[in-house]
Amino acid sequence: MTTTFDLNDDSLVVIIGSGAGGGTLANELAQKGIKSVVLEAGKRFKMDDIENDEWKMFGKISWLDKRYVEGPARLAKDFPNLPAWIVKGVGGATVHWAGVAMRFQEHEFKMKTLNGVIPGANVLDWPVTLKEMEPYYVKAELKMGVCGTEATGMPYHRKSSHYQVVAEGAKRIGANCEQAKLAINTEVRDGRPACQVAGFCMQGCKIGAKWSTMYTEIPKAEATGNVEVRPQSMVLRIEHDKTGKVTGVLYADKDGNQQLQKARLVAVAGNSIESPRMLLNSASSLFPDGLANGSGQVGQNYMTHTTGGVYAEFEKPVHMYKSTVVPGIVKEWQNNDPSRGHVAGYELEILHLGLPFMSAFMKPGKGGWGRELADSLANYDNMAGFWICGEDMAVESNNITLHPTEKDQYGLPVPVVYKTDHINDTRMRNHAYDRSKELFDSIGALKVNNLPPYPASHNMGTNRMSEHARDGVVNRWGQSHEISNLFVSDGSQFTSSGTENPTLTIVALAIRQADYIAEQMKKQLI
Amino acid sequence: MNKNKTAVPSPNLSRRRFLARSTVAAVGAGALGSALLSPAAWAASAIGDHASTTLLRMARDVFPHDSLEDKYYAQVMSPLAEQAAKDSDLQTLLKDGVAALDEQAKKRFGKVYLEVATEADRVTILKALQDSPFFQKIKGDLMMGIYNNQELWPRFGYGGSAWEKGGYVNRGFDENDWIEGV
Repeated sequence: MTTTFDLNDDSLVVIIGSGAGGGTLANELAQKGIKSVVLEAGKRFKMDDIENDEWKMFGKISWLDKRYVEGPARLAKDFPNLPAWIVKGVGGATVHWAGVAMRFQEHEFKMKTLNGVIPGANVLDWPVTLKEMEPYYVKAELKMGVCGTEATGMPYHRKSSHYQVVAEGAKRIGANCEQAKLAINTEVRDGRPACQVAGFCMQGCKIGAKWSTMYTEIPKAEATGNVEVRPQSMVLRIEHDKTGKVTGVLYADKDGNQQLQKARLVAVAGNSIESPRMLLNSASSLFPDGLANGSGQVGQNYMTHTTGGVYAEFEKPVHMYKSTVVPGIVKEWQNNDPSRGHVAGYELEILHLGLPFMSAFMKPGKGGWGRELADSLANYDNMAGFWICGEDMAVESNNITLHPTEKDQYGLPVPVVYKTDHINDTRMRNHAYDRSKELFDSIGALKVNNLPPYPASHNMGTNRMSEHARDGVVNRWGQSHEISNLFVSDGSQFTSSGTENPTLTIVALAIRQADYIAEQMKKQLI
Repeated sequence: MNKNKTAVPSPNLSRRRFLARSTVAAVGAGALGSALLSPAAWAASAIGDHASTTLLRMARDVFPHDSLEDKYYAQVMSPLAEQAAKDSDLQTLLKDGVAALDEQAKKRFGKVYLEVATEADRVTILKALQDSPFFQKIKGDLMMGIYNNQELWPRFGYGGSAWEKGGYVNRGFDENDWIEGV
């Protein structure tokens, strides 16, 4: 089971990252008999490492390597070093996610066709349609065990108090609220238990009821003998030959020694900050602006979701912490209806924060103190609320660049993340704040608190898919337009962000990509 | 605190809010503050009597929870002051920070921070200094010490870790007596 491959074995696929994209791709290829090495920058955590403790787990699993956030948005002031709240460890962000597994809507694949040119944005249609994605969504739902879907037949979770409060508010203002489709078992399935409703989905599911590549795809892949996972392996650069084909990956191992793993094919899946960073760091005389960057689009069009939070206080207890993190979703405004004053849609995802995180995010930044905040926190048990999750416009200048002088512990230039709102994001967020207040007022809220955005867990774009090479980085299979044996397998290949949480789509794309890679390898095309 | 139903009867929300906005609150805070005027030996030895009592007063102004006993604020300030006895940078940060508070207080109200009677006035002083490393250090430590203090979670109605009890699936996750089932 502990397969070890030779560094000079150039028949291997090298996958960089072990989260939703990389972990899934490794297992899909392994099941087809294709051998791969997975390079993961973070450690390998055990189930025992998972604790139901917000700050401890934040400190333990988060990607906290030095990064800068720039831009005029408030986020850059509140969290100057933390643009993204993701995981450095085997399993990647699938350790940290809430399990929300929704398909993109049809219109979200063709935002440009639908809305035309949007000034200040760099919107593009996906080179893929929902119809083409559907069979892969079914496979992804089956793999992950998504409740409330035809694919699994697994029932929804029962309705928590938190769900009931928000759903009643939605009902009273005529808005549609549905239980969330979650990749969290409601029955024993696939060797994993049913959910206990402990409420710590985002800190890592202690019992493994939630799908995470940490304990699903990765061990399954390893069990085939076709996969070797190398934790604490930070990629320094991707090498290529004089014809422009990638040939291997240079990385720093756990002892800080540099190793070069040869490869027949490289798949990049390090999340939307690290993935373009690797390509930019791999610049050479043949690719002076970075690998796969002939279009200049590597690192550009960084998208999160248009976010914010709304937490209302009531007279009576909600005890929102007694729930899956996301028990339901208000979907009323998920469509593209420009008459609202903004294009694209948003969802209100019922989401609880524990008291420690609530104290940090309710009024983040230097001014987050004082009696008003303390009074709200004193009312913690009577709070209900949600996270606003809306489509973020692709904006070319929202991007990942390399710091000109500062290096990190691996000797790599520190990434600089520039992210600010497009006017559409601002309008959408304000629309969401207004509708949220109506929703909560309808059930007697004593106070409604608007929370500003906090660091994104949903990171997309930066290596986007495009029909034409000039507009993006990869084609409809996540394959570099320029380098046929270089693939992107994570959310950085998203052309638009949609309003849905990205994980199910990342997994569906990885399954689809594995089929393509296998077929192309068989035909000796890569 | 909503869950503080045993020791100190908690006023309901609207009353608490009313108190917060009225001069009565200032009297209440002042009365609580008087208990802080006997500094613990640790703090006095590390940063002096005046600085230690000022810090405790400040702590209650940063995250004011009138029904929380002084000891919970002291529990946060205590290790900080102890550390300051060994860490000269921290000692300077705290001493200079208190001096800055007093200077602002004198400029605005003609007296030191501790003698400024109303919370609203003390908040004005704190706001003027809120961007300083001193203020942010105290705020950060308090945030962790109050809201990340497991001993206090029941007072806020927060359950914390639950997997060891089998989660909430059989412990009231769907109980709600004020919303009709939807």
